[in-house]
Amino acid sequence: MDVRSGPQTRVTVLLVEDDEVIRKTVGMALERYGYEVSTAGDGLTGLELFREGRHDLLLLDVMLPGLDGIGLCRRVRETSLIPILMMSARGDSLDVVSGLEAGADDYVVKPVDTGVLVARIRSLLRRATFAPDREPASEPASEPASEHGPDDSPQPASRGTGDLVFGELTIDTQGLEARLAGEPVALAPTELRLLLEFAAHPGIVLDRQTLLRNVWDYGWDGDSRVVDLCVQRLRKKIGSDRIETVRGFGYKLRR
Amino acid sequence: MSTEPAETRRTTRVRRRTPPDPLHPPDPLHPPRTRAPLNPLSALDPRSLRWKIAALAAAASCAVAVAVGVLVHTTTYDWSLNVGRATALQALMSKATGAGGGDVSASASEDPAALPPELLRQVAVGKTVTWYDDTKPDEPWMWAAVRDNGRVLAVKMDMGAERRSLQALDRHIVMATLAALAIVMPLAALVAELSNRRLRRVAGTVRRIAGGDLDARIGAGGRTRDEIGEISAAVDSMASALQERLLAEQRFTADVAHELRTPLMGLITSAELLPEGEVTELVRDRVGVLRALVEDLLEISRLDAGAERADHVPVPLGGVVEESVRRTGLPARVEVTAHPMADTDPRRLDRIIANLVVNAHRHGRPPVEVSVRGTTIVVRDHGPGFPDTLLAEGPRRFRTGAKERGKGHGLGLTIALGQAQVIGAALDFANAPDGGAVATVRLEAGTRD
Repeated sequence: MDVRSGPQTRVTVLLVEDDEVIRKTVGMALERYGYEVSTAGDGLTGLELFREGRHDLLLLDVMLPGLDGIGLCRRVRETSLIPILMMSARGDSLDVVSGLEAGADDYVVKPVDTGVLVARIRSLLRRATFAPDREPASEPASEPASEHGPDDSPQPASRGTGDLVFGELTIDTQGLEARLAGEPVALAPTELRLLLEFAAHPGIVLDRQTLLRNVWDYGWDGDSRVVDLCVQRLRKKIGSDRIETVRGFGYKLRR
Repeated sequence: MSTEPAETRRTTRVRRRTPPDPLHPPDPLHPPRTRAPLNPLSALDPRSLRWKIAALAAAASCAVAVAVGVLVHTTTYDWSLNVGRATALQALMSKATGAGGGDVSASASEDPAALPPELLRQVAVGKTVTWYDDTKPDEPWMWAAVRDNGRVLAVKMDMGAERRSLQALDRHIVMATLAALAIVMPLAALVAELSNRRLRRVAGTVRRIAGGDLDARIGAGGRTRDEIGEISAAVDSMASALQERLLAEQRFTADVAHELRTPLMGLITSAELLPEGEVTELVRDRVGVLRALVEDLLEISRLDAGAERADHVPVPLGGVVEESVRRTGLPARVEVTAHPMADTDPRRLDRIIANLVVNAHRHGRPPVEVSVRGTTIVVRDHGPGFPDTLLAEGPRRFRTGAKERGKGHGLGLTIALGQAQVIGAALDFANAPDGGAVATVRLEAGTRD
């Protein structure tokens, strides 16, 4: 298995997993895919490792001795916007929803083979390193200005090159940041990607399946709770009334 | 009235796929309900208990009124006849003795021809008789007659006044009855409403529990101790017992899942790291089989635990089915007519379609055809068809039918059937006349209509 289609610059993944076999084998498998992997066997060691080094992605097991995956996720999110992928062996609502609420970007249910795991990691990293000039055609959110030109509506008004303004919320589609009343909002990659997706279609209802497809790269097999919980997290950061729920359909960004 | 059921059904459907709203985020443990088992009875429905109780009260009042009315009527009637009879006799006496001209109201007649024949026949006996003549309802008379020395002496009294006062009495009774009804019926409806409200609360809570909200309780504490309080307490304790059992089973299933999946994942990732070779292929194949078996068993135990809830969203059915078939990696021709939209749970539908397609390949023979027409999905193959026992009894675990039908553990169809029940679809198994198994999924069937 000499698939080295990994990134050019070595991406480091912090794997926190208590099962020794999984920790070793997943670590080895990811290294084969070109990732640099550091591993921890419990939550507190994981947190220590995370604070010490620079990592591009966190791969967390939910059930961990000591500080569990959800607690670790919450602690990491206090200071960092690093992409977090949860691994749940139980796969029930409690694990999945708590993980996503704690700030995880996505989850996989064990057993997961390396191919699927790498696909999820790549999708997550794409969101983290996502920039408009890199993937212009495939990403509708990268060119909202052209889709909704000045004749479309007075709002969102284009300020500067890539700024979209929705009330107090300003989204800089070039610099990839959001400001609420002038204050920068710290958005995790998935949250930012989701916000850009909304901003590309202001006032238009986006159903969960579309969001799953465009933001998370899922097909119909995606779990719509991922969307719901990410929208909830996004609302906490940019104001709860900015993203409206359209009953039975999905969500839309209020202009 | 005829539009009412449709109206109710629509509202329950809309409620079922309630998306999360900003103020009340979705409760992840209790996702939207899938089934609408009972439609709430409208308050204006004539079948409502309120109207039944009101009608009962009205009937009781009417019965009492009729009984009292009849009693009063007959007593008054008898009394007025007695008074009339006495007066008539008195008038006859005074007539016979010639003591006076008699009452103004009494007129005497000595002409037998002018007397009514009925009176004459009675008077023939030879003593004083009275006869109430009501042959003409408007002018009733009270006759008194006596045969005296061969001639008949008779007086008649006008009973019109008594008759009219009796009619007035009847009218008053009817009016009093109506007035009483006008008070009793709304009062009964109102009193019934108090019980009804509590009963509706019971029904609503039971409906919520059936819909998956296991925390729903009636909370009958402190209420008046009656049958409704009793049923409320019984429902509450049933819900608690149900919740406890369900949670225990869910916990067990989740624990089993964790205990099985953790070593399995290590096995899978280890097998992936093995150097390529014949033995590696064997190991990977067996690991794959083990993994499929574990996942199928876990899925079945989740379905058995009854904890599974569908998450209905409107989806383009053709797209979901095509993607589902594509993901199985097995060849199958998908034919979609009219690209219908459906309100269903795409992840569960995916499980159904994938299991049916895999089953068709495993036990049937290609070509496997999948067709989507309206909200009906048909998966058919061109093999020997489903075994008779499956057609008769439905899918059974670890029962793969005839040996020549090939390998497999027979869980796929069980899962497909279980998931179909969760999303409220009907799944039927049949054999095509020209051979081959035909599995039909009807999304709009089952509990949803």
